[in-house]
Amino acid sequence: MGFDLFEKEVRIFERGKAILESGTIADEGAAKEFKKLHKAYAKLFKTTKRLVKMSDRNEEKLNKLAYSLDEKGNMLEQLSQKLAKYLSPQVYESIFSGAQDVSLTTKRKKLTVFFSDIKDFTQTTEDLQPEDLTSLLNMYFTEMSFIALKHGATIDKFIGDAMLMFFGDPKSRGVEEDARCCLRMAVEMQRRMENLKKIWLEQGYEKPFQMRIGINTGYCNVGNFGSEDRMDYTIIGGEVNLAARLESSCDPGGILMSYETYALVKDLVETEEREPIRVKGIRREVKPFSVLNVNDDSCAGEKVFRQSCDGFNFFLNQEKLSGQDREKVRLELMNALDSLGGGS
Amino acid sequence: MENIKIEATERSPELDLNFKMNSFRIKGESYPEDVTEFYGGVLKTLESYFEELEGQTVNFGFELIYFNSSSAKVLMSLFDMLEEAAEEGNTVNVEWVYVSDDDNMEELGEEFGEDLEAANFIMKPVE
Repeated sequence: MGFDLFEKEVRIFERGKAILESGTIADEGAAKEFKKLHKAYAKLFKTTKRLVKMSDRNEEKLNKLAYSLDEKGNMLEQLSQKLAKYLSPQVYESIFSGAQDVSLTTKRKKLTVFFSDIKDFTQTTEDLQPEDLTSLLNMYFTEMSFIALKHGATIDKFIGDAMLMFFGDPKSRGVEEDARCCLRMAVEMQRRMENLKKIWLEQGYEKPFQMRIGINTGYCNVGNFGSEDRMDYTIIGGEVNLAARLESSCDPGGILMSYETYALVKDLVETEEREPIRVKGIRREVKPFSVLNVNDDSCAGEKVFRQSCDGFNFFLNQEKLSGQDREKVRLELMNALDSLGGGS
Repeated sequence: MENIKIEATERSPELDLNFKMNSFRIKGESYPEDVTEFYGGVLKTLESYFEELEGQTVNFGFELIYFNSSSAKVLMSLFDMLEEAAEEGNTVNVEWVYVSDDDNMEELGEEFGEDLEAANFIMKPVE
């Protein structure tokens, strides 16, 4: 005998039916009432069965819909993660959180603008194979972006070998702290470049990149520029041009900033004042300050050791070492020291 | 009566029916393609088991995450069987296990539990 989900109810119904058919209810009025109740029970039973079936079907549909929504949600998440790589994290976050409108609106804000490029990049591109150049450039941008994001920079764009970044929008820690973050970032970048130089030399690149950095603080127009169909979240204005101009006047491996930035960071750095420069779009004469030294522990970078002579070739990049390897290297170095003896 | 152990699938729960120990557990999600096919045989076996039960202690655990309307009807039938077994003089302990922040499962457990008078009913939230 098969199983019926409503077996119990069927049994009750059948029993009522049998009673009615047997005519055992003597009282005619009671028999009539019983018949009515039995009919109502039959109707209620049928309705319940239909409702359960309908409910199951609806739940099935809802489950499928929920599954499909989950899939679409995951797909959108993956897609947005991919798209995020084309935007600065702060800009991405402000758009996706709804804090930022995707429309052609701009505002004026006091920002600290960072501009950098690589000295003699065009010449370098001619001297290197395209594959090497790509690898070198990607490594350079990856390393610099890592430092930039660590310090909270909004990466505006990469233009060939140049980088445009700013501090103070969409998030700001205050004009002074924004400038200080930018300086710390620039210092760490140049220190990293020193280490990268050693790594690149080790890898056989004869002329490693040298970065020049210009920093300026001033009012800029920031927001979405372009057309309704294709826009860029970027900055424009004379102060941006000044950062670029400072960069082009900067020594290779150096940092050159305007007086406006210098005034906000002067306790962190030792500087040298350079000859004033004039920039189109800026009426005032610009006094540049070149960073000579930094008095700030937070600018400390990682260490790479490199030494070679006949019979000895030593290269250590501590940043690449992790846990177990570090211990292995330490033991190897101790063994090597032991093998050298007491120095006589 | 032979014990029954059915592994859970995406749409049906794990059934662990230990007749020798009088210990039973349903665990997982329940929205089988065919409720009659999945639960039919099991309910029949349980029905026979309860009919023969005399002065025993039975422990029945429900650990469900989700179930559809037809499965709810099966659960109601099961609760009826458990209550009848308790009315017959057996000690019946029913445990409704639910994830503590699952308000829906908590509410459903409370509703099922309301129908039990002779059987002991315990709500057990888990993390």
